[in-house]
Amino acid sequence: MENMTYSQARKELEEIVRSIESGELDVDKLTEKVKHAGELIAFCKEKLTKADEDLQRMLDEIA
Amino acid sequence: MNQSLTLLELNRFVREVVKNNFPDTYWVRAETSDVRRNANGHCYLEFIEKDPVTQNIVARARGVIWANTFRLLESYFQSQTGTAFTSGMGVLVRVSVEFHEQYGYSLTVVDIDPSFTIGEMARNRMLVIRRLEEEGVLRLNKELPIPDVCNRIAVISSATAAGYGDFLHQLASNPFGLIFYTKLFPAAMQGENSEASIIAALEKIYENRDMFDAVAIIRGGGATSELNCFDSYPVATNCAQFPLPIVTGIGHERDVTVLDMVAHTSVKTPTAVAEFFIDHQAESLARITDLQQRLVSIARQAISRENSELALLSKDVYHHSIAFLSKQNSEIGNVVFMLRAYSQKQLDTLRQEHKEQVVRFRNAVEHVIRIEKHRIENAAQYFEMVSPKNVLKRGYTITVQNGKIVTSATSLVENECIETIFSDGKATSEIKNIEKWKI
Repeated sequence: MENMTYSQARKELEEIVRSIESGELDVDKLTEKVKHAGELIAFCKEKLTKADEDLQRMLDEIA
Repeated sequence: MNQSLTLLELNRFVREVVKNNFPDTYWVRAETSDVRRNANGHCYLEFIEKDPVTQNIVARARGVIWANTFRLLESYFQSQTGTAFTSGMGVLVRVSVEFHEQYGYSLTVVDIDPSFTIGEMARNRMLVIRRLEEEGVLRLNKELPIPDVCNRIAVISSATAAGYGDFLHQLASNPFGLIFYTKLFPAAMQGENSEASIIAALEKIYENRDMFDAVAIIRGGGATSELNCFDSYPVATNCAQFPLPIVTGIGHERDVTVLDMVAHTSVKTPTAVAEFFIDHQAESLARITDLQQRLVSIARQAISRENSELALLSKDVYHHSIAFLSKQNSEIGNVVFMLRAYSQKQLDTLRQEHKEQVVRFRNAVEHVIRIEKHRIENAAQYFEMVSPKNVLKRGYTITVQNGKIVTSATSLVENECIETIFSDGKATSEIKNIEKWKI
């Protein structure tokens, strides 16, 4: 997940939601997928809303 | 010879000739250059004409607009063209031709026709646009996708511009809690250096292009609006081919500049640029939130469906179990009954066998006892028979010397005494003669 880009995470998330909506998963897989989807959601939201001070510092350091 | 003139005399002569031959004012088409305004409000400039092909200057004249004229013309010009009176513009001006003994040839502007400049600017823009189109770069920046996460923004602006502050404030106070990272690449957004300084800023961003998602070119809050640099070919071609999407908010009244045309997105003000980025990010966030809601609702449905299926299943399991158990119960009952019957039989057999064994054992023991009793009786008779008492009775005697039984003649010595024991008494005798036998 660390090396994942936002777009990859979102694509995977969409894929999971689609596969769950199609009802093709059994309960064990479902639980696993929902858990993973939760992680992906957190990851995406964090990218959009959580300040990365290192990043701002790197930009500030451009001369 | 009094044929020569002083310079002053000559210049006076020229001045007279000019004055007499150019009594009117004339409409002249020219390009402005080196436009500057002094403390008294007078405007000094150069009028030039370039060869349309080679762009070499083919004519030049100094010009002046006196303060009282300039005040009127300036505001009129700006209101009509949407841009300040400045260098590098094609203008149509009414001038009087002057020659001054000390300052030489110059044109004094008495009127200006802004519609010509508007036309010139439009023509110029058309030329730049056509060139960009021919080079196939006009729409390049527009075709760049704006990434889902577009929050690292390189800003080209004057550091002190009010519009820059508005832009930052707008981003920071977005209601969605979205994060933006900005980096200012300062540039003069007006004046002679603006073109070069915007291009330099673009180059610096290009060097660090991996660290940004988009570029914002903003301007606003300045007193004069001068847009020439935004119509210039070098700025336009740089922007058009820039690898990051460019969003402009250079706040002007006029319809559109070439920069606006090549930029990915063009809005009116710096605040609107901020809004653009906020909207884009908010959309990304909304998409994730939507996926999240869908996920939650489907997962909930799936769980409740599984739950009810589970309930049905468990009911089934219960009924089946009961039936199964009662069947098993009765089967077990049968088995127990059979087992009991079988065990009883087995026990009976065993008991019988045991009884017979006991009888057999007793018989065997009795037999052994009888035999042993008989054997003991025989032994007793034998021992009775061989007991010393009976032996003595039968005529045998025991010879004893010094308390010890004598069994051999070798130990006997003549003239010593020995005792002879009989069954009913004993006798002491003296040995007279010893005769030893070889055995």
